Amino acid sequence: MSSTFHGLQVAKRGMDAQQAALYTIGHNVSNANTPGYTRQRVSLETFPAYPAPGMNQAGTAGQIGMGVEASTVERIRDTFLDTQYRDETIKVGYWDARAGALEKMEEIMNEPTEDGLSAVFNQFFESIQDVASHPSEAGSRSVMIERAEAVGNTFSYLSTSLKTIQGDLQKERDVAVTQVNSLLEQMNNVNQQIQNVEPNGYLPNDLYDERDRLLDELSKFIPVSVEYTKSGENASAPSEGVVTVQLQTSRGPITLLDGQNHQVNAISLKTNQDSYVTEIHIGGQSRNPELFPQGKLKGLIEASGYIDSSGDKTGVYASMIDHLDEMAYEFVNWFNDKHQQGVTLEGNKGISFFNDVSQKEGAATGIVIADKIKQNTNNIAAASGAAGTDRQGDGQNAQLLSQFRQNVLINSGNQDVSLDGFYQSIIGQMSVDAQQANRLKSNSETLQGAVEQRRQSTSAVSLDEEMTNMIQFQHAYNASARMITMIDEMLDKIVNGLGTGGR
Amino acid sequence: MRVTQGMLAANSLKQISNSYNKLETLQNQLSTGKKITRPSDDPVVATKGMAYRSNLSEVNQYKRNLTEAQSWFDNSESGLEQVNSILQRTKELVVQGLNGTNGSDDRQAIAREIEQLKMDYMQVGNTQVAGNYIFNGVNVGAPPISENTSGMIESNINLDPFSIEVSKGIQLRVNIHAENIFGQGSFDLMNNIQTAFEQNDVSSLKDLSTQLDTQISTLLAERSELGARSNRLELIGNRLDSQEITATKMLSDNEDAEIEKVITDLTVQESLHRAALGVGAQIIQPTLLDFLR
Repeated sequence: MSSTFHGLQVAKRGMDAQQAALYTIGHNVSNANTPGYTRQRVSLETFPAYPAPGMNQAGTAGQIGMGVEASTVERIRDTFLDTQYRDETIKVGYWDARAGALEKMEEIMNEPTEDGLSAVFNQFFESIQDVASHPSEAGSRSVMIERAEAVGNTFSYLSTSLKTIQGDLQKERDVAVTQVNSLLEQMNNVNQQIQNVEPNGYLPNDLYDERDRLLDELSKFIPVSVEYTKSGENASAPSEGVVTVQLQTSRGPITLLDGQNHQVNAISLKTNQDSYVTEIHIGGQSRNPELFPQGKLKGLIEASGYIDSSGDKTGVYASMIDHLDEMAYEFVNWFNDKHQQGVTLEGNKGISFFNDVSQKEGAATGIVIADKIKQNTNNIAAASGAAGTDRQGDGQNAQLLSQFRQNVLINSGNQDVSLDGFYQSIIGQMSVDAQQANRLKSNSETLQGAVEQRRQSTSAVSLDEEMTNMIQFQHAYNASARMITMIDEMLDKIVNGLGTGGR
Repeated sequence: MRVTQGMLAANSLKQISNSYNKLETLQNQLSTGKKITRPSDDPVVATKGMAYRSNLSEVNQYKRNLTEAQSWFDNSESGLEQVNSILQRTKELVVQGLNGTNGSDDRQAIAREIEQLKMDYMQVGNTQVAGNYIFNGVNVGAPPISENTSGMIESNINLDPFSIEVSKGIQLRVNIHAENIFGQGSFDLMNNIQTAFEQNDVSSLKDLSTQLDTQISTLLAERSELGARSNRLELIGNRLDSQEITATKMLSDNEDAEIEKVITDLTVQESLHRAALGVGAQIIQPTLLDFLR
């Protein structure tokens, strides 16, 4: 026999449970636009029935239900999609960093246009040809010097601009490291909060969301794998525990965040005097930048330059700067060499046209016309043959000089190429690299978008759905309340209406 | 699939942003007239473009060189024309002098005219064009012919060819073989004729007359050679013209946008964009909330 007030208790529980569901709907609706928010659902379960089933229970026919209970509030989320999403995010981060760096480089190199290095080469060629056909004319000689100056300035401008962007990328890279470390620190805090709450049987859903959001964020920079360790004591079954984050490298994993011991192993970069990365330190281990896994950080390291395992400077900008230096070096040496073989307007043996450049490194910023040439245009050695004053109309050497683009030989990959060929091939290489980076960036963004769609499809808040649920729970709440009124009437009948016969 | 408001908004935003990107590409093509704005849009077009440009620049330069060569030919030709008149007049005078009717005084007068012609001859040899002595090989800074202190004409001609590159690897000699026309022998001949008239030496005039004929035929030979080279230049010029057209066309085919296609694409894209915006506005707005009281 159940108690008199049984019905009141059942109805009250009903109201409590529907209220919990309504509050959760309120929470969902409020967070409909919160980044990383996962919609939550209250699991409604029937309250253990009376009497509990058993052999010696005082028998009533069947059980009387004791109503409903709001057992847990759970997130609706698919962790498999999280892994997929983060895998794509890693690629997006890497290709985005690379594409961004190459895009700036394309802007600097500015080819093919009327202002790029190859256009300046064209003008220089034309001015030397003019000297070849008017060797005795001071005007055409002056123009040739101006154009040579333009060649030097362009080389220098390109090299300096590339170095400036490289410097910016190095700063961006350092900021990225700081961000990674800060994310790990934040995750550590969230871990601690989770560990404080879970043992009491609570499900800190919003903390889980925060942690997952931080993991999404982190996976832009570096690829990580996560492991969960359950909290002890009275933790409820769906609780997730604290997270341990590891960086997977080709030489085994390195722990970035130890969840149980609340320890963060920060990443730090070791750089040389040019700010090229030489080594990456994490938690007492170090990795060569080459072995560092893909991600935005790797993209930035590759773009801004690092020292590879054989000790060479490598990287998108580093190699372009090197190529320009090599071109400048070969150009100046070839030009000087040929110029020295000529004869000046005054009949003397030719001197160096440009100041000598002794080493490849920095050659692009060191193309300076020799003072003697600048001061006296007659010192341009346009004539060929033996020294003497009777060769003012000889432009044979100038003609030879005008072939600077076809004849300068640069050894590139065991193949001798002309200056023009070399320049076209480095521009070609740059454009192909940029094209690839853009394509893969766009591809990985598309894939990331698709996974994000599926994730949203599972976890995002739908206002229509929440409103429908709200109506549903509201009616259930109202009905429970109506139950109380009904029981009230029933009790009224029992208390005030019974036993009044004959009154 | 379960679809939420947030997803609709995000999708709509993505589509609109994609649409903007396409509009930007087309508008760039329209305003620059180029297919590509950066090399990565099409690496092949970019590197080819660089090669075509330097090709075109070379062709243009060779055309300029060609004009220069033409100017040398024209000036040389007019110099030779003057030499021709001088030699023809001298021939007339020699023929006249051989005539027995001339007295000693007449021959002295002829000698004076021959002297003037000789000086004229020398001046032609020292023709300057834009400050260059065009009949002195590569030694353009110095006059090839001079008068020494005793009034004798001395010719000292530089034999080196003055060449101009008129096409890749093709050098064309633009000066004449001046030693044949303005060599010491020519002036000696004029001098000898003058002396023969002065000394009334009719017997040697006959021999000198033969030498003069040889000189005239040398001149003719030189003129025809110059003409032949001028023809060759013309052929090279024609070739450069067609090379320029080809190079310009290749450059254009390679990187110029087809405007009519771009405009059509742009119009299509604009209407798609409008539709995307319209649909976005329609879809995003209403929720169930709008219909609940």
